[in-house]
Amino acid sequence: MKQALQIFGFTIVVSVFYWYVSLWVPQKRTDPPEDIEIASDLTIEEMIPIGEEIVAGKGTCLTCHTMGDHGTGLRFPDLDNIGAIAAERVPGQSDVDYLAESMYDPNAYVVEGYVAGMPNVARPPIALTDQEILTVIAYLQSLGGTPTVTMQTTLQWQGQAPAQDAAPAVAVGGNRDAETVFTTYLCNTCHSLDGTAGAGPTLQGLGQRMTRAEIYEAIVDPDEVIAEGYVEGVMSTMLNANNFYEQVSTSELQALVDYLASM
Amino acid sequence: MTTDSIPVVRTTCQGAWWRGLPAGLAAFVLLALVAGPAWGMPQEAAPEYRALPFISSRVLMWAVAELHLMFAAFVLAVPMFALVIEFIGYRTGDKRYDQLAYDFTKLLSVSFSFTATLGALLTFGLLVFYPALTQYLVKIFSWTFLPYVLLFFLEAFFLYAYYYGWGKLSPRLHLFIGLMLNLVGTAIMFIANAWLTFMNTPNGIDDMGNLTSLWEAINNYTWMPINIHRLIANVAFGGAIGAAYGAFKFLGAKTLAAKAHYDWMGYIGIFVAICALLPLPFAGYWLGVEIYAYDQSLGITLMGGTFSWLFIVQAVLIGNLFLAANYYLWLSMARIPGAERFRGFIKYLLGVITLCFIVWATPHSLVATVEEARAMGGSHHPILNVLGVMSAKNTAVNLLILTTYVSFLLYRRANKEATVSWARIGNWIQFGIFAVVVIYVVFLGVYGYFVDAQTRIGLSRPQVLSVLFAMASVTVIDLFLFKNAKSRGEIVWGKISARSQYALFFLAITFTWLMGLMGYVRAGMRQHWHVYGVMRDTSVDAFTPTLGFAGGVVSAIVIVFFLLIAIVFFLAGLSGRKDWTPKSGSRWNEEETTVSTEPA
Amino acid sequence: MNLFVLLGIAAVMVLIQQVLTRWIQLNRIAWLGIWWVALWAAFSYGINPPLPNSIIVLFMAIITIALMAYLSADNEELEEARQSIVRFMVAQEYRIALVIVLLVIPAAVAAWTYASMNEAPQPPSSGRTIHPPPPSSITFAGNSIDLATANNPYRELEHTDEAAFAAHVANGRRIYFQNCFYCHGDNMQGAGMFAHGYDPLPANFNDATTIAMLQESYLFWRIAKGAPGLPSESTPWSSAMPAWELFLTEEEIWDVILFLYEYTGYEPRAQGMPH
Repeated sequence: MKQALQIFGFTIVVSVFYWYVSLWVPQKRTDPPEDIEIASDLTIEEMIPIGEEIVAGKGTCLTCHTMGDHGTGLRFPDLDNIGAIAAERVPGQSDVDYLAESMYDPNAYVVEGYVAGMPNVARPPIALTDQEILTVIAYLQSLGGTPTVTMQTTLQWQGQAPAQDAAPAVAVGGNRDAETVFTTYLCNTCHSLDGTAGAGPTLQGLGQRMTRAEIYEAIVDPDEVIAEGYVEGVMSTMLNANNFYEQVSTSELQALVDYLASM
Repeated sequence: MTTDSIPVVRTTCQGAWWRGLPAGLAAFVLLALVAGPAWGMPQEAAPEYRALPFISSRVLMWAVAELHLMFAAFVLAVPMFALVIEFIGYRTGDKRYDQLAYDFTKLLSVSFSFTATLGALLTFGLLVFYPALTQYLVKIFSWTFLPYVLLFFLEAFFLYAYYYGWGKLSPRLHLFIGLMLNLVGTAIMFIANAWLTFMNTPNGIDDMGNLTSLWEAINNYTWMPINIHRLIANVAFGGAIGAAYGAFKFLGAKTLAAKAHYDWMGYIGIFVAICALLPLPFAGYWLGVEIYAYDQSLGITLMGGTFSWLFIVQAVLIGNLFLAANYYLWLSMARIPGAERFRGFIKYLLGVITLCFIVWATPHSLVATVEEARAMGGSHHPILNVLGVMSAKNTAVNLLILTTYVSFLLYRRANKEATVSWARIGNWIQFGIFAVVVIYVVFLGVYGYFVDAQTRIGLSRPQVLSVLFAMASVTVIDLFLFKNAKSRGEIVWGKISARSQYALFFLAITFTWLMGLMGYVRAGMRQHWHVYGVMRDTSVDAFTPTLGFAGGVVSAIVIVFFLLIAIVFFLAGLSGRKDWTPKSGSRWNEEETTVSTEPA
Repeated sequence: MNLFVLLGIAAVMVLIQQVLTRWIQLNRIAWLGIWWVALWAAFSYGINPPLPNSIIVLFMAIITIALMAYLSADNEELEEARQSIVRFMVAQEYRIALVIVLLVIPAAVAAWTYASMNEAPQPPSSGRTIHPPPPSSITFAGNSIDLATANNPYRELEHTDEAAFAAHVANGRRIYFQNCFYCHGDNMQGAGMFAHGYDPLPANFNDATTIAMLQESYLFWRIAKGAPGLPSESTPWSSAMPAWELFLTEEEIWDVILFLYEYTGYEPRAQGMPH
């Protein structure tokens, strides 16, 4: 018994010695990156500026929509005065419901004269949370109207999006095939494959129009050469917003260029 | 970040049989009591996390997972060398080997129950504290649970058959059962490894985290490297714990015969551990390469960023391992007549080990005050800088391995005198091989400073190969050199100081601590992710703690582990005891003697 | 290296072994003590510039463990050492020496405490990562620059158009002395007029471990993003380096990088593995 106690004492001494070694080196605690907290008791006045920030930033809305003279987009409806328009656009649908549907299920109703192509903003890569979408609605309502939405408003689409913490970031640096890359970064939102016009030029017959080097450049530095009739800065902003440049590996880029050149 | 863990879904009550069942139930009841308050709360949908009072649930799960892992490693490793030793005994007909293998195996059954109990505890814990994560992993890996449970059942069957069938079955059948035990154990580990490597380097899922290919999820970037790394590390760990058991029995032994036997057991155990330790850096290197290949930032977090100081602590641990292993070999020479001749070498060997240890433990980024930084003319020291980089460290570890081998070589020939005619030349050839390889290894290390990084990384391969070549060729020469050698007397097993046995304990503790530390970093490198890049950790414990805190937790885990292993040792020791008899002759006497002599 | 000190230590060791042992028999403990002191002196005074204290502590801890292992690696020697300690404690002839030792130990501890209490206050030392891994790409003025492959676009002029290259270097010189030299100094030793106020010190470009071991794209990242662009393990809050992307153009940054290498005579690290 005495023997066992001695050995056990020895175990404690050695363990504590190693603990001491680990205390001797510099101590640093790393905290996870912070998310913007949206409290559930925000007033409508507090919601509007947050919504405005999301529209300009995380939501990447202004890449396609204009806001009077703000924003680079031209391809989707102008959002100036949307607060007034929303209530009347679809008969029988309230403005809150209309705005919510436009974000959760954007292609359910497409404004006349425009092409369907807006992604569900509750899904990755934009992945706004239900709370964030509520603030965006409040902001949009304030444009030419009076906000009626609160943080307590429930919408039929809520809960379909994965909770923000579980929002899967895109697997990084892998070896995805070209088509996966193409759809992951929503290229087809703006570029059609069948010749129809979109927010960007169609990709039909791309291989005949452009060399591989030109395609490469058009992806890596989209603003260098702009197809006639299209706006500068849309594609680069969009790709930056969904972290295309950080996530796509060299081999994936190569595959994507090959894929596009074969069109 | 969670724990080093295998989200093990062990429905193993049938696996642990009558032993595991009550323990598992007890664990469940205990857990229900602990988690009671959390369950009692009004529930809004399914909560993502539950918390405990007084202790963070992460630390609790960390400890449980690591303990489970340590026992599992032990249970998987012991059959490997027990089988080999039994096989040697079978081939040579030497009863001592058979006895030794049986002594190792005696440790298994209780450890197996502990493994199962801890696994059950881990599963319950994950379900209670991390329901969302558990649910996700179950969703991905649901199809792997069935073979896992089946294999676990087979593991239990083979393990108990191997243990209880000792000496009762035909040797060939028994060896076959041992082989099956090893195969099934390895398969179990491979499945569990798939779950935990998936958390580090997820694969086979789409952007939404849905499963697209189960095989790709299993065969992710780090699965095979971890499988191999763990297989080898388990053997090293199992050997070290087995040696500690030998030391424990040695210190308590009353008779000379028992002392001799357990001295020998400790020696074999640590021999197995050191042999497995030597290839481990290379397996670790492969693992590192795969992590970099999967995601550069994950690799840099591990090696260059947040965790770079952890590897200085690791260097201290491994330096101590090498030092203690050599120290044990030097002390072991006391039991060999004729070993005095080699006493003089010790100080040179020690000098080399110390030098390599120092080089290995020199950090790349220094801790310096402003005054000191001014004196150095910057934050890097011109001389230390040379020691802090990969070239120097690779050279140091290769020389450490070589020095340990030389210690072993001296130990091996301590009581031998070569009688072959070419003895002198043979010695010179051996010496020449060492000299050439040492010069070559050092040359490559120095050369590494003058080439670009890509070439430098490539240099580690010839360094390793030349060291392996030296060890192999010198061993072969040695075998022929000492054929029919004149003996200065037999090894006197048991004639060894108590200090050497404490060196064995030191090795076992250091191995265990090292395992705890590396388990921490393997899980910790995910930082604030449960499943890296897929599922964020949003609990209050999402931060990466300081190294000091982690070291404290690892120390606590190691102490608890040794408390549990003490129970294993105690129970294993019971079977060697004489039957209990009442003090005075009573009528109970007769009945007692008919009871089985095999209390498990 | 401070060769004189190292040689002096070696000479004293030889003297002790060759001369002193004629009169006094030194046992193993004494020898190990002498070795300990010699190595400590060598680490503390034999290396120039001096090693940081933290490193000396680490080295001496390892050496202490190794010497203890040596002392106990042989049964007879250990027994002898044990007996000599016991003799020293109990034998009449050592009574005075024992008293001296018993007085010296607490006195040494007191002196050490006194000395450490009287040191000038120092900012706490930290394990700051000097050269953290760079991000794979950065955004400069709206453009994405891939740091793994970015080259100094004017570097090739060195061989093709020397006049143009010289013009770029001259421009870099102008920019350096307009912006950088206040901290990094006119000699690039990190000893500019403001340098004394900083911790960490401004980088010393003459040091072989700064720009000489880095790629030009790494320098571009550090200059463009400055302290705010550092990851947390490099304590961005303690560095005073501005983010020069706000003040300089891309071309100006590349020019100043050319000038740094030109002035110090170092070659940038070849493209390949980043750091």
